[in-house]
Amino acid sequence: MNRAIAPEYSKAQHIDLVVPKRIKLTNKIDLYWLDETQDDTVKLDMTWDAGTKYQSKKLTASFTNALLLAGTDKLTANEISEKIDFQGGYISQDLDKDQGGVTLYGLSNKIETIFDIFSENFSNAIFPESEVEKLIDIRKNGFKISMEKVSTLCRQEFNKHIFGQTNEYGKVASLEDFDNVKSSDLQAFYKSIYLETKPTLFLVGKVDASFIEKLRTWAESLGTSASKTINTGFKQTKGRIEIAKKDAIQTSIRIGRLMVQKNHPDYYKFQVLNTILGGYFGSRLMANIREDKGYTYGIGSGLSVLDDSAYFFISTEVAKEVVDNTITEIYTEIDKLKNEFVSENELTKVKNYLLGDFLRGSDGAIAMMENFKNIYFNNLSEDYYTDFIHAINNVTAKQLKDLANKYWDKAEFLEVLAG
Amino acid sequence: MIKYNSFTLKNGLKVIHHQDKTTPMVVVNTIYNVGARDEDESRTGFAHLFEHLMFGGSTHIENYDAPLQLAGGECNAFTNNDITNYYNTLPAENLETALWLESDRMLELAFTPKSLEVQRQVVIEEFKQRYLNQPYGDVWLQFRPVIYKTHPYKWATIGKNIQHIEEATMEDVKNFFYKHYGPQNATLVIGGNVEFESVKSLVTKWYAEIPARDKYIRHITPEPKQTETRRLTIERKVPTNAIYMTFRMGNRLSHDHYLGDIISDILSAGKSSRLFQSLVKNKKLFTDVSAYILGGMEDGIFLFSGHLMEDIDFETAEKSILDEINILIENSISDDELTKVKNKFQTAKAFQDQSLLNRVMNLAMYDQMERIDLINTEKGIYDSIEIDELINFTKKTFTPTNMSVLTIKAI
Repeated sequence: MNRAIAPEYSKAQHIDLVVPKRIKLTNKIDLYWLDETQDDTVKLDMTWDAGTKYQSKKLTASFTNALLLAGTDKLTANEISEKIDFQGGYISQDLDKDQGGVTLYGLSNKIETIFDIFSENFSNAIFPESEVEKLIDIRKNGFKISMEKVSTLCRQEFNKHIFGQTNEYGKVASLEDFDNVKSSDLQAFYKSIYLETKPTLFLVGKVDASFIEKLRTWAESLGTSASKTINTGFKQTKGRIEIAKKDAIQTSIRIGRLMVQKNHPDYYKFQVLNTILGGYFGSRLMANIREDKGYTYGIGSGLSVLDDSAYFFISTEVAKEVVDNTITEIYTEIDKLKNEFVSENELTKVKNYLLGDFLRGSDGAIAMMENFKNIYFNNLSEDYYTDFIHAINNVTAKQLKDLANKYWDKAEFLEVLAG
Repeated sequence: MIKYNSFTLKNGLKVIHHQDKTTPMVVVNTIYNVGARDEDESRTGFAHLFEHLMFGGSTHIENYDAPLQLAGGECNAFTNNDITNYYNTLPAENLETALWLESDRMLELAFTPKSLEVQRQVVIEEFKQRYLNQPYGDVWLQFRPVIYKTHPYKWATIGKNIQHIEEATMEDVKNFFYKHYGPQNATLVIGGNVEFESVKSLVTKWYAEIPARDKYIRHITPEPKQTETRRLTIERKVPTNAIYMTFRMGNRLSHDHYLGDIISDILSAGKSSRLFQSLVKNKKLFTDVSAYILGGMEDGIFLFSGHLMEDIDFETAEKSILDEINILIENSISDDELTKVKNKFQTAKAFQDQSLLNRVMNLAMYDQMERIDLINTEKGIYDSIEIDELINFTKKTFTPTNMSVLTIKAI
């Protein structure tokens, strides 16, 4: 037996996208349901177009979302929490720039009761002053701690300048904004969005027909207007921005630019290119800046895609003394990909890794539903994953080099340094 | 019910197989019986530094990651005060790739100077990024030596300070490998869409020839019982004052562990919990406060921690937590409250068990503690806990002589 020779392996060939059943609850509210699960768990996501891009005042979307179950005329927040907890239920509230919603978790023998508690209290939320004030205190404290971190400062500043400070995607909150949060604003947002516009429901788990009927009844109480707006007018800053932080021993670096979204013809191949540069542990950036130079605990690159825009970014935290060296090395790696072809060996390695990653990301019903939600929210075809795998298998070194030259012009980048 | 088989090779390697036909993946997990508790006090941070070095190449294989990525796999590892754990997730058909890689680095590391130099720098950056450059980041570096005076738990896994990592030599590294890494000090857990016979034959093929080294037997003197309240105040550039209060309790395998876990949930799990309602919402003393347990294999800690509201002083904060404990003792716990906590636990466990990686890691951890039976019986232990034993645990544990307090003053 020769230990120097690797055993044979096979390439992951394809993954099957499991498409959930689609059930129309009312004329316009859809329920997507995956019922082939292995256990008694049930997960229900309810998602609205309620992200921060819909608010007219900072923090409205996040506070409304956080306080959806903070009390009605009949029950306090505590009483509602007690009831849900007693059923072994968990609730998470989720928010990003585009969507906002609520997720329920529970076991199948309790999920109907959990949903009853949720729907009764969601539909009659009053956003009590005392709850708003308390959340302000809690969030302010969290904000202050977060703003001590160079990574937060860097990310905030990058956000502002990649989209433009007056754009809804680019706006960031400041400490003063917390004191301006008012229950009346939250009530208005709640009524006009959560009660009057249609959510989409995503259900994973084995439930009875009676549960589906409950969802149908609840859906009938909601509004069905479509409120989706498209955000436009992005203005990316080019060049370097530096934020000083006294006493920081590391600097956080973010470099990037506005980019294409998932339905663009370059998207699949660009993901392969991005993986090579900084998308996995064996990437060029990791191999150079962490494994060769030891400058950092971690460096990576990625593509962040929102409903209306996307950006490419490279990020890391390094010792202050090596900031300039790090940036030099980052551009060295980018230039290599612009000037030289990726070898057959490396390309094979990255392709195989990505295929394995697809498998990892499709493991189980909840993961399958996340794959479906990706298609749903990004308006992609059901062939998306098949097409993606095909593109990965067939991309050539020349195509990657061309893409690097197309998208990685240093003059187009924004650089933010914090610390 | 999590099913598994096991066998042991002649060289002492314990192997556990858990089949799951619903997944396309296999997880190959190796847990080594070495953690920060096994370090020399003048050479701390070593077990963790060594974990990094394990990815620096073995005798026959120059690069660990690349062949694994070629086979569609991903890997990671972690070290804590008790153990070091390595895991790989890859398509089930490629099981042999992971076994080839893991067995070679168990056999012998390449020990290159370059690897040591680079990983030394990486770990130093990790020290800074996670512990020194974060608000409240060095809490445990300060607090551990207050709670533990003699036991190795007195230092954190990352190390007491950066100098120990800076001074590590190649000689130290090699000695560490031969002392702690070897089939006789490890458990290999393979879980996923793979058959037992296949696992048995591939493991035998790659591991049987690895010679056993000396079995590591640890002799750690238990930390003596605490007999007085201990206090430490530190000043840091942080936005708000914070308080940490610990009470010693039984280790991960003791009945204390389960009682402490339930008590911590009653006190602080979820928005209906006692601490959140009383101290955050009603009395407005904290912006957040939690209770949780740290279940070390040698010894356990019950911890309260919180960030104070702006005009609240430390005495008030501390007293408010102690008052909640007294309320629990005097008024006891209702049946509904206990049922609530148990129901939440059942839901959480059901979701966690969906993850193949979680199941495999749990099998590894329990086997290291020589209690693999717990993987299926622990649920029953939680179910059978009763109110009077919870109250007795509370009375016994939360006493002044068992308490250490760290206050972080914002400057």
